[in-house]
Amino acid sequence: MNLNIFLYESIHFTRSKAKLYSYLFFMSICMLSIFNAYKISNKQTQTILNINDQKEIENQKVLDWFDKSSKGPEDKLWINVEDPYWAIRSTSTYVVKEPSPLMPLGIGQSTQFGFYKKVNRWSSTYDDDIVEEISNYERLINGNIDFSFLIIFLLPVLIIIMTYNINGLEKDFSFHKLISIQNNQVKLWIFTRFLFYLILVLFSVNILILTVGFFNSGTSNIKSVLSLILLSNLYIILFFVVFYFLNRNGNSSSSIAFKMISVWLLFCVIIPGSVHQYVSFQYPVNYMTDFLDVNRKRTYDIFKLDNSNLYTKLLEIHPEISLNKDSLEINLDNKKIRRSISSIVNQMNVDAANEIERQNEEKNRLIRFTYIFNPVSYVQNMWNSCTSTDYDSYKKFRIKLKESIQLRNELLVLEMWKEKKVDKESYQEYLKFLN
Amino acid sequence: MINIFYNEWRGFLRNKLFIFFTSFFIILLIIVTYFAIIQNNKQIQSQNEAHNHIRSQWDEIDSTNAHSAAHFGTYAFKSNTILNSLDEGINSVTGVVLRLEGHKQNDVAFSEVSQSLEISKFGKLKPSLLFQFIIPLFLIFLSFNSYTYEISSGRLKLLIIQGDSLLKIVFAKIIAILSLSFLLLSLSIFIQYSFNFSSLSFDEIFRLVIFFFGYIIYYFIIISLTILLSILFKNSISALSTMIIVWLLWTVFLPKTIGNFTESLSPLPTRFELKSVMKDDRSKGIDGHNPSDERRYQLEKETLEKYNVDSISQLPINFSGILLQADEEYGNKVWDKHFGNVYSILKEQKRNYQLSGLINPFVSIQSLSTGSCGTDLIHHLDFLSKAEIYRRYFVKELNNEYTFVSTEGENAYLSDNEFFKSINDFNYLTPNFSSVLYYYLYDIIFLFSWILFLIFFIVLKSRKLII
Repeated sequence: MNLNIFLYESIHFTRSKAKLYSYLFFMSICMLSIFNAYKISNKQTQTILNINDQKEIENQKVLDWFDKSSKGPEDKLWINVEDPYWAIRSTSTYVVKEPSPLMPLGIGQSTQFGFYKKVNRWSSTYDDDIVEEISNYERLINGNIDFSFLIIFLLPVLIIIMTYNINGLEKDFSFHKLISIQNNQVKLWIFTRFLFYLILVLFSVNILILTVGFFNSGTSNIKSVLSLILLSNLYIILFFVVFYFLNRNGNSSSSIAFKMISVWLLFCVIIPGSVHQYVSFQYPVNYMTDFLDVNRKRTYDIFKLDNSNLYTKLLEIHPEISLNKDSLEINLDNKKIRRSISSIVNQMNVDAANEIERQNEEKNRLIRFTYIFNPVSYVQNMWNSCTSTDYDSYKKFRIKLKESIQLRNELLVLEMWKEKKVDKESYQEYLKFLN
Repeated sequence: MINIFYNEWRGFLRNKLFIFFTSFFIILLIIVTYFAIIQNNKQIQSQNEAHNHIRSQWDEIDSTNAHSAAHFGTYAFKSNTILNSLDEGINSVTGVVLRLEGHKQNDVAFSEVSQSLEISKFGKLKPSLLFQFIIPLFLIFLSFNSYTYEISSGRLKLLIIQGDSLLKIVFAKIIAILSLSFLLLSLSIFIQYSFNFSSLSFDEIFRLVIFFFGYIIYYFIIISLTILLSILFKNSISALSTMIIVWLLWTVFLPKTIGNFTESLSPLPTRFELKSVMKDDRSKGIDGHNPSDERRYQLEKETLEKYNVDSISQLPINFSGILLQADEEYGNKVWDKHFGNVYSILKEQKRNYQLSGLINPFVSIQSLSTGSCGTDLIHHLDFLSKAEIYRRYFVKELNNEYTFVSTEGENAYLSDNEFFKSINDFNYLTPNFSSVLYYYLYDIIFLFSWILFLIFFIVLKSRKLII
């Protein structure tokens, strides 16, 4: 490698207004994107804080009833918080997905999913109140100014702007033979010039990732930060390698630019777009009729069952509530059975949701299979995974939600069937258990 | 001018690279349009099946309390238009299922993007992706040296000596390249028309015409601007570099930044905030002076007076039903106030975004393209509004039954299957494009303004140019 060529390229870069300004412009929008994602992350954090406040107020209200020895609100005399059924119903529980500390580096799919859910005994993981935040759909389609988008989709264009005329310009003005006279190895000459831009880009990107990573999460996410650096660097190097070969074999700067843009279009637009279309063809939008049936028709069918059938179903889910024959007769007409229906419905919801997750997973398997010729989608999803803003991170949120609903129903049934009398301490225990 | 036009085409057809790329685009467009139609039809079929499945469950309801049936509710499935195969617009990010039931308005759920990993940031490979992103780039590469090549080869002087004006030469070149985009667009529209010949209504043909001419205007802008830049710079490479940067700014950067900016200009409430205020309004009264207890008392008084009785037990009707409907109507007012506001903000954001068409014609064509295909925000809001109107009809019918009809006899408060079957189904019809055309006036005006602006500059520059 000739250091002079490297240094000359740095001078050329600082003197070339188009390249310098493009670079500075790109860095500015990178910072803007990070700032923008901070705003989204802070908005989510603020909503979660509001939720916690709301939860505190609602739970304190019930604790006050215990303090005042009243059994519930004055205008709803049927409520008795000493009964586990009402006490557990009165606990305010939310399941939230905290924004990832690395969200400023990649919003990913976070704007497409809800991030909190108030849990009651009838909740399910696909309720319509866990949809995405209210937002302008046309803005969602165009997407946010997102750092990951800039690195994965726009950085290759910056590389094109910075390198398209390496070797091409010389050929345009027909002095490329002079270069071969002055440099024995033209390939090395091109490589050295490329190396300057590669180092510049890697340095700039790594600095931004490290700064945001450490500023926002200290060393707690070091593994994810390093993964992001590795991923982005490999991705950038890959583009540099492809562009290097295009430049080496190009005839003129315009033909090189055309080929570079074609490569970018192919990998960033056409292949992902084709895969998207094919996946939609294989797996059309799921209208989730099986889930809707459980939520509606099958739930209503459960309500029509008599107590004996309901009890049998309940026993399958909660064998702990098994009664001896005498107490069974006494208890079969008991309201406890009807108050436990939510547990049966929840089990049906869990089964239906598992089926949806299975179908989605099949779709995801097909998407992952295409990574072999669709590297951009691979990098994009890997990136989202590092910043915990991908489909799987929200799947984990749904699993957490499912567990919370299950816990609530289990607690409700078991405490009701124990016929426990609830006091302030046990209510606080419930709160701890459910949150 | 016609001779120059023919000559341009002769030149195109002698160029192997041009033949290759044109053939590539023709084949790609045929495949993409065909598969988009097949995929869309599959989606429409899937939606129809879901719709029929849910309706059949409703039709099978037997001897049930009408209010219980209001809780049972129904579902509205967002339907795809035939033209969704050309431009899917926002359909992949909006939910597709909306539960319609008594007491509350739900959110439309289960969007396509929430059902899988992320695949493409630029959407599916549909004709619109080719028309908006790829074909303009191809046109830029065809145009950037179209004028400068004539100078460097010395042909320009020759043509002028032979009596052609520079203006004619430039416009003949623009029209020659534009005719290629005309061919590509026509091909896609033709395939669309042939496959959906029997199901295309007059409105859809009108939409196709708007779609077609919108893109023709946009391509005229792209080609003229590239040629204008090459006239200004007198250098094809500078024109190409600048135009690629312009293309990037127009298609990738500005839509995102302006989209974010318009959202911060008129911010939307969070779902949590909205729910809190709606809950307050519902319990305390919209103005804070009309709490639910007082409303109930007032209603009871009015009803007793109307039927000239002293107590609820003496009423010939079911007072619970009256209460339910009154609560429903109050809830509707609260919803209209808050969601009306959200819809207004969304429309305001769209309008502000459309205004950026002044500096970015891509915004105008994108808006016109999704609008003409019925897949934009305006059509989505129309779907939501019509679903809400249907929900109100649906709940009112059930409440009326619960209040006035099923009140006496052995099966009091139980309605039979005939009644449930008599309730109309929800069948969403896309609005006629002429009725929503005013939403796209900005787009049309800006696209034409760009044409006028470019023609003016080309004429100005051509007159001043010394060859």
